[in-house]
Amino acid sequence: MTAPNSPETNAQTANQTAAKTAKTGKLEVSDLITIGVFAALYFVMVCVATLVSTLFTGGFGSIFLPAIAALISGCVYMLLAARLGKFGGITVMGVVIGLFLFISGHFVLSFIASIVFPVIADLIAKAGKYKSKALLLASYVVFSYGLTGPILPLWFMKDAYIASLQARGKDAAYIDGVFANINTGTFIISMAAILVCAIVGGWFGQKMMKKHFVKAGIV
Amino acid sequence: MRSSLPVEHTASTTLTPIQPPVVSMTPGAPTYSGTADDCSTEQPGHHIRAVRTLDPRTKLFLLLTANLMLFFHVTVTTQIILVTIFLIPLVVAGRWKLTLNFALTYAVLTGLGFLDPDALGVPWLHVISALAVGCTMMLPCFITGAYAFTTTSPSEFICAMRRMHVPESVVIPCVVVIRFFPTIAEDYRQIRNAMALRGIAAGGWGLVRNPAQSLEYILIPLLMNATNVAQDLSVAAVTKGLGHTGMHTSRTQIRLRIIDWLAMIVVLIPLVLDIAGVIQ
Repeated sequence: MTAPNSPETNAQTANQTAAKTAKTGKLEVSDLITIGVFAALYFVMVCVATLVSTLFTGGFGSIFLPAIAALISGCVYMLLAARLGKFGGITVMGVVIGLFLFISGHFVLSFIASIVFPVIADLIAKAGKYKSKALLLASYVVFSYGLTGPILPLWFMKDAYIASLQARGKDAAYIDGVFANINTGTFIISMAAILVCAIVGGWFGQKMMKKHFVKAGIV
Repeated sequence: MRSSLPVEHTASTTLTPIQPPVVSMTPGAPTYSGTADDCSTEQPGHHIRAVRTLDPRTKLFLLLTANLMLFFHVTVTTQIILVTIFLIPLVVAGRWKLTLNFALTYAVLTGLGFLDPDALGVPWLHVISALAVGCTMMLPCFITGAYAFTTTSPSEFICAMRRMHVPESVVIPCVVVIRFFPTIAEDYRQIRNAMALRGIAAGGWGLVRNPAQSLEYILIPLLMNATNVAQDLSVAAVTKGLGHTGMHTSRTQIRLRIIDWLAMIVVLIPLVLDIAGVIQ
């Protein structure tokens, strides 16, 4: 970003973020605004993913939410990483997304997931200096797991239904029978789906970057 | 190169409508304007909440309570009590339709949750019953979330975050996110128009028929535009002193009133009683 900021203003704002971004350049106001713009786009992608996922899988809609979101938002992530190239950007984006998910009524644990995974993703991307394609792809995969927060309540729900069955006097064997299909299997499938979709989505994003943005001189 | 022709064209057409809002910075402007009124000071004649809603921080508290309900597996009685309480602020804020929708959904789902599939002799009903129980658990979160989302103005939200000492590196992106949503909607409409003009992905199922192409044709112009808007916004924001350290002032005032404290206490009572095991 070469926004025509005066150096003094930059130095002032940098103070607040200095602790976080000690070495590789600091996040300035212009960077934060870039992050905001991309976070908004990413959030829209998440909303689209929610919609698609709900249409396809009915009530247990959000099971494939992270996977579908990972599939379609590769471009956003790759462009942000390329535009910013500083440590902290991916983290802040994760935090902002988590905040908006929480306010729009998602489970509070989603907030924790959307801090931890983006930080790891940020570190991986940083290891490749935000240029290495393979590491960026890896970091995108990790980042995509940050969205698993919204689907965590599904496991709580299962507990709740078991509790309500027990309250009505059903025996344990019967309850196990009911849940023979809905258990760790679904969990593993959903996690594997995230992995595959994130790789495909990230690859698509990198391809799009090469096709459009590198040529246009934006990156 | 022929395939990406519409993309590049839309990128340039969508630029035009972006310029005016950049100058005005709609939601953020009151927050940045360096007028003398502080968040915390009461001054007559200033912008005070027009709609009767709770303080943003109280809304956050309601959200947390709804989450705790999920966490502690509250009993149905507690759930019904709390959902009723959560619906009251929505009514007060005048969101009748939303309230009615939530109330109906909750009633139906709770009813479904009480179904006894074995007594009816149809075991597969367990799927529906389990889903209903799951959804009723999620519903309090959605109710409070909808309340927080539909009744909080951006500047209230920002003011609340600053008062809670959220770091500036989180506040600024949040401002931008809120500011940027309408722009995305507007851009999307224009992109779809441009696509329709060239007969790409026209009609109801047009987008679904070729998802990868749709994604590329819609997302790339949006991203192109996003990079430009980010640049323009930075200029506008820095000019208005967003990069200034120290206390930022706000035209919007937020204050925890008696009713806010009352709401927090009222919400907390059933939850605590439930966890203590008083309500069965």
